[in-house]
Amino acid sequence: MKVLIPGALRSYTQSHEAAAHGATLDEALEDLDRQYPGIRFRVIDEQGKVRRHIRIFVNGASAESLSMHMQPSDEVILVQALSGG
Amino acid sequence: MTDDELLRYSRHILLPEIDIAGQDAIRGARVLIIGIGGLGSPAALYLASAGIGTIVLADGDTVDLTNLQRQILHRTDSVGLAKVESGRRTICEINPTCNVIAIAERLEGEALTAQIALADVVLDCSDNFATRHAVNRACVAKRKPLVSGAAIRFDGQISVFDSRQTDAPCYECLFPEGENVEDVRCATMGVFAPITGIIGAMQAAEALKLIVGCGVPLTGRLELLDGTSMTWREIRIRRDPQCKVCAQ
Repeated sequence: MKVLIPGALRSYTQSHEAAAHGATLDEALEDLDRQYPGIRFRVIDEQGKVRRHIRIFVNGASAESLSMHMQPSDEVILVQALSGG
Repeated sequence: MTDDELLRYSRHILLPEIDIAGQDAIRGARVLIIGIGGLGSPAALYLASAGIGTIVLADGDTVDLTNLQRQILHRTDSVGLAKVESGRRTICEINPTCNVIAIAERLEGEALTAQIALADVVLDCSDNFATRHAVNRACVAKRKPLVSGAAIRFDGQISVFDSRQTDAPCYECLFPEGENVEDVRCATMGVFAPITGIIGAMQAAEALKLIVGCGVPLTGRLELLDGTSMTWREIRIRRDPQCKVCAQ
């Protein structure tokens, strides 16, 4: 599936999008971390929860949970809250 | 409306969605802009040019040389001046009929709530999460529409949070306030100047739409701009039934 990477995390991927595989959203994030070590920790905290300034959307709607089932055609968007003005 | 005003705003009045009634609404409106920097500058310029009756500028900073790359309300000879005074000067040159109220402080607490209560539309053009959450809380409390914009590096975001609608999300529904969320500042991360222009101009457009009551506002939708590829993504935001701000 396609994962769109916010600007703040592009130091890991060097690109605005990446490909990841997995039957669930959590598996997809783990696959992303195998390719780009450290990126998952910027999204998921030590408690296994999505960080408060990050939101994950699948096909344009908020992800239900990290255990939600994914399809190869799904598009994941990682959104980071921006404070700059 | 005078003959001069009819001529000045004729390109708006020609639009059936606006017409004379819409332009009258624009003239009668009071808009609060919080943060007169990269986003607040283009927003203020368009709102003033469009004929907003009263614009309240709120910002505690002074104009710095590093601001001038993107903060197009300010001029080189404004360096050192309060941003709100610099902004008032520029706006008065563009549209002397616009009543500009300059508040040279970072609005907080009761002062923030009082200004939001007086406004028809609020634009959040601030540069920190604490202000963003405070503005959101006050807008929910006073049931005022909030046009929220943000920009950093090559990324931009904009949405409308309108708590007058019972099913509409607020900013807290999207990004819950957290203790360990650090501000990512333009001063340290950089910002591509036109990104602030694009988002700020869109904030002005959404504010005018809300005042006139035309079109479909960005309520419940977050627009994401990737300036490197110049592509937009739209995501749908839903109200959080557990939201500590708007679910109370």
